[in-house]
Amino acid sequence: MPDIREHTALEIGQRLELRGQDSSSWIIVLVGDSSTGAKLEHFRDDIASVLQKPTRIFQIETKTFEELREELHNPGNDVAILVADDGLTAELWSSFDLMRGAIERAGPIVLWLSGNSIRHMTENAPNIRSYVGSSFFVVGPDGGFMTAEERAQRLTELIEHYGFGNEELIHRAQLKTLPPDPEIIEWLVLLGRGDLV
Amino acid sequence: MSLEDALRRAAMLDAKMHREAKGHELPLPHAVFSQLRAYLIRRAEGIAAENNVWQLLKFSSAIGGLSYIALGPTFDKGLSPYHFRFDSGARLSFGLTLREDDRLSRLVSARYHYQLPEGQSPAFFRFDLIDAPHENPLLEPCSHLHPGLEHVRLPVAIHDPIEVLDRIFFVIERNP
Repeated sequence: MPDIREHTALEIGQRLELRGQDSSSWIIVLVGDSSTGAKLEHFRDDIASVLQKPTRIFQIETKTFEELREELHNPGNDVAILVADDGLTAELWSSFDLMRGAIERAGPIVLWLSGNSIRHMTENAPNIRSYVGSSFFVVGPDGGFMTAEERAQRLTELIEHYGFGNEELIHRAQLKTLPPDPEIIEWLVLLGRGDLV
Repeated sequence: MSLEDALRRAAMLDAKMHREAKGHELPLPHAVFSQLRAYLIRRAEGIAAENNVWQLLKFSSAIGGLSYIALGPTFDKGLSPYHFRFDSGARLSFGLTLREDDRLSRLVSARYHYQLPEGQSPAFFRFDLIDAPHENPLLEPCSHLHPGLEHVRLPVAIHDPIEVLDRIFFVIERNP
C-alpha cells in the first residue's frame, strides 16, 4: 500500500539510503503539481545531502528517449530525479514504459509526479508502475524556513545587544561606521538590506 | 621586531585571507543549508541529548541578495531551547550569511559559538568570519577563533561551514 503520510525529503533520502548504495531503486514522489520550482530544487538539495551523491534533475518531455538513456548512464550511479509533466501524453508514457529496461541503472530513479501524472503513468506504463511497487512517498513542506515571528525575535535580540535601533543601523551602514561583527551583517540581512553589506 | 612589524605582517596575512574568503566557493545557499541539516541530523543520532534539528536550523532565502542560515540565539546568554546540545553539557549556536553568485555562493560572514559547561575553562570557543578588513588586522583578522576570551582573536584558515562543525564534533567533543 502506498504510504500517504507526508514525508520530508530527508526522510525519503534516508529510505533510499537504507536500501544501500547502487540499489537500482525506483520510487515515486508525489507532489501537489509537477512544476519545477524551488520545491523541486530544495528536494534535490536534501536528497543529495542525505545520500552524499550528486543528484540530477531531468525533464522527461524535453529529451528524446535516446538522450535520456545516454544521460542516465553517464554516470549511472548518481541519483536521477525524472520530472514528468502533467501533459506527458499516453504515447510518451507507453514509449517510456517500453524502454524501461534500457534506463535501468545502479543509482536510484525518483519519479517526481503530480496526481494527474501518476494516473497517466498507471494507465499507460504498467511495467514502470510495477518497478515502483509500493514505493510511493508524498513529499511534505520543505521546512526550516525562518518565520516572520522568528525574524522579529532576532531583530529584538540585536537591538537589545547593540543598544541602537534599525534606523541607526542603516544610517551607520551607509556611513560605514559599524563594527565588523558577523551579527551586524545578519541584522542587515534580516532587514532586507543586504545591499548595504 | 616592533609592533609596526607585527602589524605589517598581520596586514599581509589578512589581505591573503580576505582574497581566499572572496574566492572560496560553496554551493547555492539552500544546498549549504541542506548539507548542514543532513550533517547535524546525522551527528544528533549519536547524542543522547534531544536535538530536533528540523526545528533548530533555520533558513531565510535571499533578502536583499543575501541568504541567512541560523541555529540558536544570535548571542549566547545561557542555555535555551534553540541551542544544539551535547551530552557533555556544551551547546552550539551559529549564524551564516551567504551571497549567491551565479550558480554558487560565498560566505559573507559566519559565527559559530561553542559554549562549554559552566565552570570549565576555556568557557567557549567562537569561530568568526568577518566581511570587511579591520583597521587593525593584528587584533581582528578576517577569519579568527576566540579561545574563550572575547578580546583575543587568533587567525584560522578559511573553511567550509561543515569543516568548522567537524572540529567541534570530532575534535573538541570527540563525538564518535
